[in-house]
Amino acid sequence: MSIEFQSVQKFFQRPGKGGMGRVQALSPTTFNIQSGEFFSIIGPSGCGKSTLLNLLAGLDEPSAGKVLVDGVEVKEPGPDRAVVFQEHGLMPWMTVRHNVEYGLKLAGMAPKDRQEKAMQYLRMVHLSKFAESYPHQLSGGMRQRVSIARALALEPRILLMDEPFSALDAQTRDVLQDELQRIWEETRTTILFVTHHLSEAVYLSDRVMIMTAPPGSIKRIVRVPFAHPRQKTSNELSAFINDLHQDIKTEVDIVAARELDPDWQPENAIRQEDGIVMQGEGI
Amino acid sequence: MSNASMDSVQVRGAAIKIQNQPSPWAAFAIRVAFILGLMILWELVTAFSGVPTYLFPPLIGPRIDTEGVFHLVHPGSVLAAFQRIVSDGSLLASTLSSFGRMAIGYSVSVVGGVALGTLIARNWYVRQTIGSMVLSLQSLPSICWLPFALIWVGINENAIILVIVLGALFAIAISTEGAIRNVPPIYTKVGRVLGAKRLALAKDVLFFAALPELLGGLKVGWTFAWRALMAAELIRADVAGIGAQLQVGRDFNDMALMFASVITILAIGLLVDLLIFGTAERAVRRRWGLEK
Repeated sequence: MSIEFQSVQKFFQRPGKGGMGRVQALSPTTFNIQSGEFFSIIGPSGCGKSTLLNLLAGLDEPSAGKVLVDGVEVKEPGPDRAVVFQEHGLMPWMTVRHNVEYGLKLAGMAPKDRQEKAMQYLRMVHLSKFAESYPHQLSGGMRQRVSIARALALEPRILLMDEPFSALDAQTRDVLQDELQRIWEETRTTILFVTHHLSEAVYLSDRVMIMTAPPGSIKRIVRVPFAHPRQKTSNELSAFINDLHQDIKTEVDIVAARELDPDWQPENAIRQEDGIVMQGEGI
Repeated sequence: MSNASMDSVQVRGAAIKIQNQPSPWAAFAIRVAFILGLMILWELVTAFSGVPTYLFPPLIGPRIDTEGVFHLVHPGSVLAAFQRIVSDGSLLASTLSSFGRMAIGYSVSVVGGVALGTLIARNWYVRQTIGSMVLSLQSLPSICWLPFALIWVGINENAIILVIVLGALFAIAISTEGAIRNVPPIYTKVGRVLGAKRLALAKDVLFFAALPELLGGLKVGWTFAWRALMAAELIRADVAGIGAQLQVGRDFNDMALMFASVITILAIGLLVDLLIFGTAERAVRRRWGLEK
């Protein structure tokens, strides 16, 4: 299986002076995701990382270029590309099990089979005893587990995760990162993971793609040269994260400088040798 | 709950406070006590204000006559009027025929209103065309349609039913549109990535996601339908019905019968809210986790 983004661009319409203006969210972007790979995209807000995910999910159309899955252009959403969103999006009127079963039901699976499959994936996220509960009876972390089980139950060719842990508290996020690493090792599903947490991206991924401030483009794609399973506390991982940190901070500072009052300055801009892009230029 | 009280409880010798929800029975008792209070007030006013009975009849009107004999029920009282219309069967007959019209008119309004509201919410062209007129159609009192209805469909049941439909359908459509457009976009996104296409998305996802707000719209629709029906029956007093019964009371200067009719109308509204909409809304809120 292969996933190719071919010179994908995205423009949005935005009301401005003199009618609707066009804003470029994504410069032409080309990259591939390999089969079985854990691939992360990271970048400042507005860099188009979620746009890339939505294009692959089929929730959005590129303004130019193509997204191909196994050589076939993506036109609409499909169960081969399951998505876990930042909001769990569990249907409050369905039990946990029915939530997990719903996609399978749409695919035409028989009730008994889909119940079995739902339970299998609920066991994978350790929530089988809550199968008959309703979402409001679960904690935030448990709900996100269900939403992961719901996506995995489709047995997709690629699992898309759009900042799946961003709405969770730090402890829960920590636990779920470990769980995701384990699940990925078990299933070897290809994963596209969008986040704004560098350490999360490095800890989990085979490759991390860093994007520039908008209009988003690829700044660099880094291979994380450590075998799975990884230890969050390992020194080499921390050193690797530190090395990448400035790459992201540069882009985040550019966005901040555009958004904030002109008297704002990035904290370490003056100390930086190459004197970050931003000094008074105002981009 | 804002009106929750605190109970002190002893746990291992220490006093702890536990938030205490008022029981449903307490709520019921307070409602009953309130209505009883109103009834007593009514009795006192009619007994001592000197307003003649034919203008403002007592509810029961117990009294001792000039010969010292005690009478529990005054013949001109509202209760006496109730006794008459219950024993001659006219209360049952008029309630049944009003409900018969409601059943047809309201069902048509619900089906048509939900369908129209969904179309307005989901289709740009419908929203720009019919959608832009629905509010003004709703702001026209539906009884204004009765003269049209009488000419178009004739002096018959269908004219009244048409007035019910025109009274409730647009209200339900407006609420449905709001309910659907207020569905958090995450549900649509999740439905789509799980493979739901248009019809499945509408019936499995949007409908349920909109349900809490939709129920409120159906309730308001019911009150509009009921009001339209009463108004139509008042004008068409030749048919059987509670509104018609009110008009009969006016024709015969029978104030007690008029009050009996109005109390019947209010009681039905109260019962429908309590038994049907109240129950449904509570069930939904519980399932959604909005209420324990």
